[in-house]
Amino acid sequence: MRPLRDPRDYQEERRLGARVTVIQVLFGAVLAVYLMTFWYLQVVRADYYRRLSDSNHLRRVTIAAERGLITDVEERPLVGNRIAFNIRLDREKTENLDALLPRLATVLNVSEATLRDRLARARGRPRFEPVVLKEDVDLKEVAWIEARRLELPMLSVEIESRREYPHGDLAAHVLGYVGEATEEQVKSDPEDLFDLGDIVGKAGLEREYETSLHGIKGWKEVVVNSHGREMQEVGEGRPPSPGHALRLTIDLDLQRTLEEAYGEELGSAVFLDAKTGAVLAMISRPAFDPNVFAHRFSQDVWQSLVRDPRHPLQDRVSLSKFAPGSVFKVVMTIAALEEGVAKPERLDHCTGSWRFGERVFQCWGIRKGGHGWVDMRQALIESCNVYFYRLGNEMGIEKIAKWAHLLGFGQATGIDLPHEESGTVPDPDWKAKAVPRDPIWHPGETISVAIGQGALEVTPLQMAVFAATVGSGGTVLKPHLVQAREAREGVEQGNDNDAVLRHLPLHPETIKVVKEAMWGVVNEAGGTGAKARIEAYDVCGKTGTAQVFKVSRDIDADKLPKDKRDHAWFVGFAPKDDPQIAFAVFVQNGGHGGTVSAPIAKAVLERFFAQREGLKGGLSVASAAPPR
Amino acid sequence: MSQARRHLGSFDGILFLSALALQLIGLVVIYSSTVGTPSAGAFQRQAMWMALGMTGLLIVLVIDYHTLAEFSVVFYAGCCVLLLLTIVFGRVVNASKSWLGAGGVQFQPSELAKVATILMVAAYLGRDQVRGLGFVRFAAVSGIVGLPVLLIMQQPDLGTAATFMPLLVGASFLAGLRIRTIVILTLIVALALPLVWGHLKPYQKERVKIFLEPTRDPKGAGYQLIQSLIAVGSGGVTGKGFLSGTQGSLQFLPEQHTDFVLAVVAEERGFIGSALVLAFYFVVLTRCIATARGARDRLGAFIAMGVACVYGGQALINIGVVLGVLPTTGVPLPLLSYGGSCLVSTLLGLGLVLNVHMRRLVN
Repeated sequence: MRPLRDPRDYQEERRLGARVTVIQVLFGAVLAVYLMTFWYLQVVRADYYRRLSDSNHLRRVTIAAERGLITDVEERPLVGNRIAFNIRLDREKTENLDALLPRLATVLNVSEATLRDRLARARGRPRFEPVVLKEDVDLKEVAWIEARRLELPMLSVEIESRREYPHGDLAAHVLGYVGEATEEQVKSDPEDLFDLGDIVGKAGLEREYETSLHGIKGWKEVVVNSHGREMQEVGEGRPPSPGHALRLTIDLDLQRTLEEAYGEELGSAVFLDAKTGAVLAMISRPAFDPNVFAHRFSQDVWQSLVRDPRHPLQDRVSLSKFAPGSVFKVVMTIAALEEGVAKPERLDHCTGSWRFGERVFQCWGIRKGGHGWVDMRQALIESCNVYFYRLGNEMGIEKIAKWAHLLGFGQATGIDLPHEESGTVPDPDWKAKAVPRDPIWHPGETISVAIGQGALEVTPLQMAVFAATVGSGGTVLKPHLVQAREAREGVEQGNDNDAVLRHLPLHPETIKVVKEAMWGVVNEAGGTGAKARIEAYDVCGKTGTAQVFKVSRDIDADKLPKDKRDHAWFVGFAPKDDPQIAFAVFVQNGGHGGTVSAPIAKAVLERFFAQREGLKGGLSVASAAPPR
Repeated sequence: MSQARRHLGSFDGILFLSALALQLIGLVVIYSSTVGTPSAGAFQRQAMWMALGMTGLLIVLVIDYHTLAEFSVVFYAGCCVLLLLTIVFGRVVNASKSWLGAGGVQFQPSELAKVATILMVAAYLGRDQVRGLGFVRFAAVSGIVGLPVLLIMQQPDLGTAATFMPLLVGASFLAGLRIRTIVILTLIVALALPLVWGHLKPYQKERVKIFLEPTRDPKGAGYQLIQSLIAVGSGGVTGKGFLSGTQGSLQFLPEQHTDFVLAVVAEERGFIGSALVLAFYFVVLTRCIATARGARDRLGAFIAMGVACVYGGQALINIGVVLGVLPTTGVPLPLLSYGGSCLVSTLLGLGLVLNVHMRRLVN
């Protein structure tokens, strides 16, 4: 019942009803369009948006793989991993940072500036990502933090695997060190094993066997929110597969003996199994402690190592080259005999010097008035320069260079280390290329080379390999450091046959003369290597002195300042008839080879033969158990 | 006594229950999309506002709408004063001053102004002697709507200001605005548009540009739109389930419990959920329109249609934004979105409609 007072009211009423219907239809139509839009998005395009949604909130997070261990030949650990604790700050839980920092500085025993620096570096990172305030804290600090969870909720302890070198600087140059992968390394990584910032080998075996040690990273899928914070884990992912272990040829006992015997000298020494080329012990001094590189070490440590004028990071076994000095006379002898230039019976008279052209070449025993009449064996034992000056002059540089090359000089030995110096064996061709301002080979240079001076340069490793070659009568070995390494399935043994590079068909007479002479150097009265003599083990060797400073006749070499003194070589093998071990000991600025280098060799050899005797005698020494 | 009983018998239960259902859906979605996020307290606050809004609805229901209309000038003037106070003393949130604090409670006078303006327009156009809408009366209606709109634009809160437009258009149309006048007005607006564009703030221009080309800046302003579409689309037919919407709870979707609450419903409940929400809105709107149709007088019809236009229009704008068919305006979805002022305002509006429906029969 409507109050209809006027027909126009009735009209208006109807019109109003019609207009209401228009609005109603409009609303209904828009709602219908929206319903269809929902249908299109949620039914027709659902898969497309579902994929977009997943890629929005699912992230693949990688899990680092444990690095492979490195052990000595008897599986005693040389490199391991340990758990390290880092203290982190959750910035989201920190209300008043400025008030907290001084307190944290006291608690963590870190300067406030350091803390501020670390926080500043993390400024660009998402806020929920904790900032590491102090790395590798000890358990006492961890306990302190854990006990104050309520009081300092913004601090947490992060557990991380860290590379550990339990013996400190022992064999540091062999083992190498690790660090964060650089962009360059990531680019050159063929198997895509690592990403920027991963811990990878930077030097030594850590680098050489990186692909084996590194392992394969695992991953898990996590749900993240729009800020990237991990909310939960989903699915299984792939567990990381740890890196493979390396068993080295290094013997920890021998290595320790060598490190002790070497004392505080600078230089290097390497001892090889004379039959296989396996490196038994190897040292380079000064050394460094690879532990300091184990993780994001501070720039200061790095800088101090790089700037150290003594270059502690330099591996002096395979990366430094020096004049071989008198040791090269052994090469001269072999070359002369094999080329038929001279016979062992060749006699020569040494008066203490030899004038050749304009120049007078000195013999080292000058103050005794020369060596007098010497044959080849005696010239080698007494290391008579004049004998070899003349022999070199007769033979000519080509033949010398040919035999130096055959015996392994001027080329890399092929050891399993990332880099190796090949040294220099000079000859006219080399000089034409290397010395453009004076490309002509002068005969006087041959005479310098004949006693291991001049442009001739060798690495201590080449010297040790050469000693093994002489000891075996002509077998050139490839030195190696890894005995066995774990492979994907089982263990891959190093094959000793691979270790033989070539056999030189040397005449037995040549070997006999050289070995007799080298035996004499150590075992005959007045021999320069007498300090390496071991009863019943027939140690053979040759001392050498590489000139650093030109000594004139009125200066006593032993009274020179240490850094002007000559480098001391002692190179050899033992026992004479069936060599088991070959070695090169090099002491920088050590003066005469026999004085400083020979005793070092003797200490290691004694230890080596004691071990062998222990085995032969059936003595059960725990550490001498046959490797599994 | 008998009158009260008859009124009770005429109570529109369907409208009330549909509105209640939407509010409850809203509560569930607010909980699901904020749990574990910084906005986690929203659920409790919304429930509190709901109780307050329901009380307001009852008060509005009890007083005869004719009495309310008599005092509409007072309400209207009061709201305008509040809007002025907001401009002066308001709290700044998201670069606009739209909140007024009273004790610990914050509210937006602009939401309250909607109800007062609806009542004011209805009181003006609902007088029985008004027939047809000439230019003068249209100007008067424009003035009534325009004053609060201008005040709200000073805050500036363009979105809320825009929700007054359906009232002006709807009321003018219902009052009989001639087609010729509509055409002329449209031309004027079309000519004025470039001038308006020149006066828009840079962020407002950016919103319009992004609406026209959403991939323009996917990490910036277009981000909301894309994330909303992903939320809706990835819900599929049945949805990801309660508390399982990744877009909402992982905070990819901004304003997940306020302006984009429907996107969360769509994500967690799928097409079934979105269709259900649309159906409830359809019922609410239909009941409002039916109330207008069956109203005892023009005043009742204009009140019911005003409420339908303002809140229905706001709902359509909001849903359009969620679906990417309209530019981002920052308008909440009535009844569903988190936000006390909007909820209370909507419930007051529905209280008016229920009031009209309850008193549709003449004594």
